[in-house]
Amino acid sequence: MKAAKSRSLLYGSIRRFFDQRGYLEVETPSLSPDLIPEATIDDFGTTFINEFEGSRDMYMIPSPEVFMKRLIADGSGSIYQISKCFRNCEQIGEIHNPEFSMLEYYTVGYDEVDSIALTQRLLRETALPNCPQSVLEDFEILSVRDAIMRYTVPQYTNITDAGTTDLDMLQNPKDLREQAQRLGLYVPGPESWDDTFNRIFINFVEPNLPKDHPVCLVEYPKQIECLAQRNGNYRRRWELYINGMEVANCYLEERDVETVRAYYKEEYNKLVELRSQNGKVIPDADASFADIFDRFPKCSGVAIGLDRLLMVETGRCDIDDVLLFPFPL
Amino acid sequence: MIKAGQIDKGTALLIKGQPFICIDREFVNPGKGSAFVRLKLKSPSTGQVLQETMKSQDNAEDINVEMMDFQYMYNDGENFHMMNVDTYDQFEIPMANFPDYQYLMKDGETYRCTVYGDDVLDIQIPSKVVYLVAEAEEAIKGDTVQGATKYVTTETGLRVRVPIFIKQGEKIRVNTETKEYLERVNS
Repeated sequence: MKAAKSRSLLYGSIRRFFDQRGYLEVETPSLSPDLIPEATIDDFGTTFINEFEGSRDMYMIPSPEVFMKRLIADGSGSIYQISKCFRNCEQIGEIHNPEFSMLEYYTVGYDEVDSIALTQRLLRETALPNCPQSVLEDFEILSVRDAIMRYTVPQYTNITDAGTTDLDMLQNPKDLREQAQRLGLYVPGPESWDDTFNRIFINFVEPNLPKDHPVCLVEYPKQIECLAQRNGNYRRRWELYINGMEVANCYLEERDVETVRAYYKEEYNKLVELRSQNGKVIPDADASFADIFDRFPKCSGVAIGLDRLLMVETGRCDIDDVLLFPFPL
Repeated sequence: MIKAGQIDKGTALLIKGQPFICIDREFVNPGKGSAFVRLKLKSPSTGQVLQETMKSQDNAEDINVEMMDFQYMYNDGENFHMMNVDTYDQFEIPMANFPDYQYLMKDGETYRCTVYGDDVLDIQIPSKVVYLVAEAEEAIKGDTVQGATKYVTTETGLRVRVPIFIKQGEKIRVNTETKEYLERVNS
C-alpha cells in the first residue's frame, strides 16, 4: 500500500537510532508568525482569526529550523524531529510535493564533517530490508569546486575549447557568466553569481552525478547565502545526492550574531524584491532571532527529505508512489 | 515572449530561428537556488531533440501557432496524408517526425494539430484510445511464465501485450504513451 509499511518501519528505526544516542525528540509548531527569510523558497501564508485580540498573519513552516535553533540556544542539547514542511511553488513533479516530511537533527559539539559520518551510519543502521546497495555504499566526498571541474570537461559539455571551470578563478559574476557561455549555456544577461553557478551546476553536475553510490557534495560557494559558516570562498555546508537526487542538506551552523543579523537584512530585501513582482506571499522575518546566537553552542544540523529517502530505499522514481494521498492537481 | 516556467508540453518555441515543440518538462530546484526548468524540445522538421535548462524566470520566444482539426486519411510509407476538416486543405506530414503514429492513428479519425505556417508541429493523440483487436494469437495452455499474457495486433497495426482472455474482434483500451493495455471494452 504505497510504501505505508516501509515508511512506518523507517520512522521507527530512525527514532531508535537517535534515542539510543541520547538525542531528544522534539515537536515544534507548523504555524509560525515569522520565518527565516529564504528568497528562493516560496511560502504558504494563512491568517489567524481572533475577534478580541485582532487577526494576524501566520506562515506554514518550510522547515522547523527557526524553532529547533531556539531550543538549542536554550540548552536542549542534541535534538531531532520528524515534521511536515510546506513549500509553495509551481514545482510539482516526480521529486517535489508542496507538503513533505523532513527529518531534521542537530548535534551539539559536531561540525559538518562529523555529521557526514553520523549520516552514513544513520542510512546504514535504519535501512529498510531490500534497500538497494547503491544507498548503502560509502559516501563519495566531493567538493563543489572539484565537481564543477569534473563535469565541465568536453565529455559532458561537447565543447572542446572552454578551458577549465575553476570557481576559485571565476569569483566575479562577469567571469563566471562568460565561462558559462563558453560552455554553451544560454545566459540572457547580467545576473547574480549564484544564478549563473546554478545554471552550470544543473546542466552539467546534477545530471551526471554517479548513481551507484551516494555523493556528498561539500563546500558550497559562499555566494549562495545561507546560515552555514563561511570558510574562504566556500561555506561549511554539504548536500547528499543519492541516485542523483538531492536527499539531505547540512550546515555547520552560523553562530555570529552580527552575521545572522546581516543575513536577515539582505535576504529579506532580496525576498521582498523578488516576490513583490509576482504577488507571492511575503512572510514576516524577525531579526531579533539573531540574538539567540549569543548563547548558541557549536552545532551541526542536517535535514533529510524522508519522502525522497523512502523513494530511493524502495526503488521508486515518483514521489506520488510513496504518498498515501498525492497532492491533488 | 513566455516565461520558461510557463512552458508546458505542447508549447511551440523558436530556438535559434527554428520552431521546436516542448515534449517534456521537469522542474529542478537546486538547494537554496532559483527555480529552473529542464525542457526537452523537438524539431518537427528534423526530428532533432534538444535539452534546454532555463531559469523559470527566463524569457523564451514562443511562436504563434494555430490549432486545427485534421482528419487522418492514409499514409504512403513516407508521409501522413491529412485533411483540414474546415477548409478541406490537404497536408503531407513526414512520418519520420512522428514515429509510431501510424500504429496509433485511425483512418478517418480527426486529430487536433498544432500548425505553424506550413509545418505541423504536433498531432494530439488522446492518452487513452479504444482499438479493435484485428489479430490475436492463440493462448498457449499452461504457459504462465509470461504472467498469462499474449500479443494482439490492433486494426492500426499496433502490437499490444494483453491478458490471454482477449479475443479477436474485441475492443481494448490502450495507453498511447506507453502502448500498454489498460482494459477490455464491452461494446
